[in-house]
Amino acid sequence: MTGISALKVDDLHKSFGEHEVIKGVSMEAQKGDVIAILGASGSGKSTFLRCINLLETPNSGDVYLAGEKIRMKRNRHGETVPEDIRQVERMRARLAMVFQGFNLWSHMTVMENVLEGPLYVQKTPKAEAREKAQALLAKVGLSDRADYYPAHLSGGQQQRVAIARALAMDPDVMLFDEPTSALDPELVGEVLAVMRGLAEEGRTMLVVTHEMGFARDVSSKTVFLHQGEVCEEGPPANLFSNPQTEQFRAFLFRMN
Amino acid sequence: MDLILEYRSQLWAGTVMTIQLAMASLVIAVAFGLLGAWAKLSASHIARRLAHVYTTIVRGIPDLVLIMLVFYGGQVTLNAMGAATGLWGYVEVSQFVAGAGTIGVIFGAYFTETFRGAIMAIPRGQIEAGISCGMPRSLIFRHIIWPQMVRYALPGFTNNWLVQLKTTALVSVIGLQDLVYNAFTAGRSTGQLFTFMAAAFVIYLALTGLSDIALRALDRRYSRGVVRA
Repeated sequence: MTGISALKVDDLHKSFGEHEVIKGVSMEAQKGDVIAILGASGSGKSTFLRCINLLETPNSGDVYLAGEKIRMKRNRHGETVPEDIRQVERMRARLAMVFQGFNLWSHMTVMENVLEGPLYVQKTPKAEAREKAQALLAKVGLSDRADYYPAHLSGGQQQRVAIARALAMDPDVMLFDEPTSALDPELVGEVLAVMRGLAEEGRTMLVVTHEMGFARDVSSKTVFLHQGEVCEEGPPANLFSNPQTEQFRAFLFRMN
Repeated sequence: MDLILEYRSQLWAGTVMTIQLAMASLVIAVAFGLLGAWAKLSASHIARRLAHVYTTIVRGIPDLVLIMLVFYGGQVTLNAMGAATGLWGYVEVSQFVAGAGTIGVIFGAYFTETFRGAIMAIPRGQIEAGISCGMPRSLIFRHIIWPQMVRYALPGFTNNWLVQLKTTALVSVIGLQDLVYNAFTAGRSTGQLFTFMAAAFVIYLALTGLSDIALRALDRRYSRGVVRA
C-alpha cells in the first residue's frame, strides 16, 4: 500500500488503576478497510476503540488520523492528557462513533439528532445540512421517522438513526462499538445490512463485534484480541478457516 | 371587606415586596445551586469538599437563625473588616439585601442537590455521543445537559421554590415590610387580625397557584421526547 493510512494506532497501552487492559496494541487501516475486532468480554476491544477517539485516555501510544498525530502531554500528576483539546475535538469530528446503546439524544427528534453535528460542530448551512440529513435518513430507511423522538423507535431503528448521525459528519473513519449487541435478535439484521452497505461503498470502518458472519464476510481484516493484546490478525478467510492459536480456536468454538 | 379595601395599598405593597424578595432570592439560589452542583460533580477534590461543607452547614441550621445572624452580625462583621483593612468605609446592610441574600444562599444548598441529581440522571452515553462527534464542552452543556437537566430538576425545583416563597415571610422579623409584616400591622391596628391573615392566606395561595401554572408550562416545554406512562 502506498500513501498515508487513514488511521494508525501505535503501541497503545491503557490501564484502569493497577489493571492493564490494553498491553500495546497497534493497528493500521487504509482507506476503505473494514477491520473487525473480535475478542471475549474483558479482552479490551471496546476500551481500545474508545481510546482511539479519546473517550478513554490511553496511558501511552499514539493515534494518527490521515497522518496527523493526536498530540498528548503529561500533566503535573503524570497523567496523559491532550495537549490541545481543540485538535482532539477536530479529530473526533472526523472519527464518528456508533455505540452499543445507541446513545441518541432523547430530547431531540430523529432529524435534530442527525442535524446536530453538521449544524453546530461543522457549521454547515442549514438548508444544505437538512438536505443531506434527509438523504441519510433515506439511506438507513427511516425517512418517514424524521419527526419521531428516539423513545418511539425500536432498537434497530434507533441504531440506524445513530448510524445516520455518524454519517452526517462525513467521517474519515467510523468506529462501531458492538453496534448490534443491545438489539433483539430479529433486529440485528437491519443494522448489519446498513453496515454492509457502508462497507461496500468504501467507508473506512473499525467494528468491534460479536457477529462472526459480519467479520467473515464483510471485513477486509479481522483482529482477535485476547487479554489486551493482538492474538491473531489477518484476512478473515485465512483466519477463520485456519486459527493459529488455542485461544482463537476456543473463542470460535464458543461463538459457534 | 371594606377594611381590606381601606388597607389595600399596604397589602399590595407587601405583596410586591414578597414577590421581589422571592424573585431576587430565587436568582441567587439558582446561581448558588448551579455552582454547587458543578462543584459537587467536579473532578477537583477541593471544590467537592467546599460544596459539601456549604450544603451541610446551611441545611443544618434553621433559616431564622441564619437570617438574623446575617442581618445583625453581617453588618458588624463587614464594618469591623472594613475598619481593620481600610478597604471600605462604613456600610449599612439593607434589610432587603440581607433577607434576599440569606434566603438565596440557604435555598442554593437545596438547589445544589436538586441540580446535582438532575445532571446525574442524564444517561452518560448521551454525553459521550456529544464528545465523540467533536462537540466542545460548552455546546454539550447547552444542547445536551441543560435541556434534560431542566426536566429532571423541575419537580425538585417546584418544591424548593414553593418553600422558598413561603420562607420569605421570615424577613418580617428583621423589619422588612413584606406581605406578612403589613397584614400583621394592619390587623393589629384595626383589631381585625383574622381578617388580614385571611387576606394574606388568599394572596399566598394565589402566588403559589400562579407558580404552579407557570412551572407546569415549563415542564411541558422541556418534556420533549418523553414517553408518559
